[in-house]
Amino acid sequence: MSVLVILEQQGGVWHKMSWEALAAGVELARGLGRPVAAAVAGADLDSLAAELAGYRVERVLSVDHPLLAEYSPDGFTAALGQMIRARQPFLVVLPHTYQVREFAPKLAASLDRALVPDVVGCRVEGGEAVFVRQLFQGKMNADVAVAGEPPYFVSVQAGAFRADRLERGSAPAPVEKPAIALEAAEIRTRPLERFQEAKRTVDLAAAEIIVAVGRGIKEPENIPLAEKLAQALGGELGASRPICDNGWLPMERQIGSSGQTVSPKLYVAVGISGAIQHLVGMKGSRTVVAINKDANAPIFEVADYGIVGNLFEVVPALTEEVLKARG
Amino acid sequence: MEREVLETDVLIVGAGPAGLACAIRLAELTKNPDGITVIEKGREVGAHLLSGAVMDPRGIRELFPSEPIPALDTPVGREGVYFFTRGGQWKFPVEPPPLRNHGNYVVSLNRLARWLNERLEALGVQVFTGTAAMECLMEGGRVAGVRTDDKGRDREGKAKANFQPGADIRAKVTIFAEGVRGSVAKQLIARQRLDAESNPATYAVGVKEIWEIRPGRLDPGTVYHTMGYPLASDQYGGGWIYGLPGNLVSLGLVAGLDYRDPRFDPHNAFQQYKLHPFVRGILEGGKLIKYGAKAVPEGGWFAMPRLWSDGALLAGDTGGFLNGLRLKGIHLAIKSGMLAAETAREALEARDFSAARLARFGDKVNASWIREELWKVRNGHQAFEHGLWPAFFHLGAQMLTGGRGVRDRYPSEAGHARLLRLAELPAEEPVKIAADGKLTFDKVTDVYHSSTHHEEDQPTHLVIADTDICNTRCAAEYGNPCRFFCPAAVYEMEETRAGRRLKLNPSNCVHCKTCDIMDPYQIITWVAPEGGGGPSYEGM
Repeated sequence: MSVLVILEQQGGVWHKMSWEALAAGVELARGLGRPVAAAVAGADLDSLAAELAGYRVERVLSVDHPLLAEYSPDGFTAALGQMIRARQPFLVVLPHTYQVREFAPKLAASLDRALVPDVVGCRVEGGEAVFVRQLFQGKMNADVAVAGEPPYFVSVQAGAFRADRLERGSAPAPVEKPAIALEAAEIRTRPLERFQEAKRTVDLAAAEIIVAVGRGIKEPENIPLAEKLAQALGGELGASRPICDNGWLPMERQIGSSGQTVSPKLYVAVGISGAIQHLVGMKGSRTVVAINKDANAPIFEVADYGIVGNLFEVVPALTEEVLKARG
Repeated sequence: MEREVLETDVLIVGAGPAGLACAIRLAELTKNPDGITVIEKGREVGAHLLSGAVMDPRGIRELFPSEPIPALDTPVGREGVYFFTRGGQWKFPVEPPPLRNHGNYVVSLNRLARWLNERLEALGVQVFTGTAAMECLMEGGRVAGVRTDDKGRDREGKAKANFQPGADIRAKVTIFAEGVRGSVAKQLIARQRLDAESNPATYAVGVKEIWEIRPGRLDPGTVYHTMGYPLASDQYGGGWIYGLPGNLVSLGLVAGLDYRDPRFDPHNAFQQYKLHPFVRGILEGGKLIKYGAKAVPEGGWFAMPRLWSDGALLAGDTGGFLNGLRLKGIHLAIKSGMLAAETAREALEARDFSAARLARFGDKVNASWIREELWKVRNGHQAFEHGLWPAFFHLGAQMLTGGRGVRDRYPSEAGHARLLRLAELPAEEPVKIAADGKLTFDKVTDVYHSSTHHEEDQPTHLVIADTDICNTRCAAEYGNPCRFFCPAAVYEMEETRAGRRLKLNPSNCVHCKTCDIMDPYQIITWVAPEGGGGPSYEGM
């Protein structure tokens, strides 16, 4: 019984969270001493399946059917359900994408099995997989172990596992095409035209360095101060809620419980007091630098380096030093 | 714009104890679940419900006479009523009769609602959650249903890519069980003058936290009520501390929204309350789990609006079904919902949805134990008009005269009208507690513990008729009390180059309705934000 990772693609393009799910699957398989298999569902998957076979996996399952060309919860549940019934994996790992959020509960329920959604970590304890889920908007972590019969289903949160450590296999893994019986009548929904809710010009979740500004910046005219520091560091500009709320920066740059959750290598908080709503959006950052004039600001509780001082003096000086150091 | 139109027999607005009990009773009576539609603005049933709560089981036992009710798992055990002074307390030798709770149960209203929802689903009725009622559909003076919220509008009200217009739900009878100060019922009450013969509605606000405490500090079922500190003797209200299973404590402070000092801050008073040695002794070493706030209709019998209109009924807190002296409303909400269901069912059979027919709801209420209970305390809240000490006299007199007291109907005025202007007050400001992050918290941290979420890019749901009044007149006359009475830091006065101006943080709103009630100029109108937004209460 293997660990089966189901990757997501759309129109022949991989969803990048797929690789994080594969990384999670590989890690779990190693701990459990089980082989790892990778699956993908859709239509005309030959080239994608071949690409997948290049990774170090035991086998690739290409769930290929013309009726899966367009994603539908009914179609994917039926097809993947048949494949899982036939293959009897021990554990099924999925990326916690919008699509997975829609069909995975249905898929798990149709097999009468448990689903642990949106996990941020995992480990193996006494031969058993233990998953970590966030509770109370990230304030607490809970360890979850699954009771009952395998296969267990688990979906992994964006950014929780590192895809850059995936290893390629020495020889391509075998690709199998499980037989899928699917009737058009089984699919009760018909997708309409696709649309993009809002154009994003910045992807803070992927940024390695973020300089974030808060209320301490006082006026919108002062934002370039922080922007220059971000540029000098080669990072992105983020903000706490009041800044975006005032329309000083677009909402896509908002970090916190009502904005983006980020975990860069370096997070520089400029004039941010550190309300808990902001902290939950950035506390996963590897190194936090806080600049604030109030020594009692809660941001200093999560900061690795703190500068108590006037940001209008500190930030330009810092920018200058960074530029000097970079030559 | 094309709107979806749904037709139903009976539409119930709000899935709280009144709305759910109404739907359950109606489904039992009509055996036609398809004719019942229930909408709820919360993301899930129970998400916006908050109560103390000690429940009188009378209502729920009538709804389910022959089955075990899982919510009734924590009977009231030890009881005590205390009077708090700044640093101490004394215990009432006997509990005042309205506060005797033997035979009642400590409950979580969320959990109760979730169970009621399961029962309702078993009868074939599915609540439409995340769906807010925005306005009445009126047809020739009669209520013909409601229009629900548009989804996907940006701050300026323009349609975003995911825009979806609200639906028109058309019903033969619409039952408003929206909770306290229901935003659509408010429109209807004003338009049809349903409160023409009522006392002005009066309210309180309850600020609540749930704590996990060290084992052994408070047994489950323990029920303490407190009067006095930190409230001034001319203020209505008091505190509660209830022991829950699992080393949890529900505690909170209720403050009448008819206080005099515009600088009074209920959230701040609650922080003071937690620092009182009696409370601190229970909480210390524990941790905050949840936070919430909600207004309470305190006006009593004479403040209830007319409960029926052409095509509409008002139930639960929306109708003012609450016994302020007993601090209880859940049992009355359930019973009012059941009676509304019976009224609606008879109207369906007679195919008559006129006000004359629906007036039978009033008859049913009058013939039930609701009136018996509320009539006895009809002047209860008004007894506090001149503060706590005169109240003891009036309450004593009322108790001896079946609720009458010294006159048939004590007068009352709207709470916001009692606010004094800054010029009439001593310059000394009320004590402001600095949050220590252990026992006391600032509003923003507490809001975090209410798990409140709103779509940020949507029109503000706090509609202020004229912000100039806030920035100039109110600043001078009352010092912007919105900053203080809002328990969720929605209102701020921000220093800008153009001077002090009002800044709203609508996404902090925990839907307590205090601003709509207490603003001295009555220029704040609370309308429902995009459905699904708001707190996510659990175990509250």
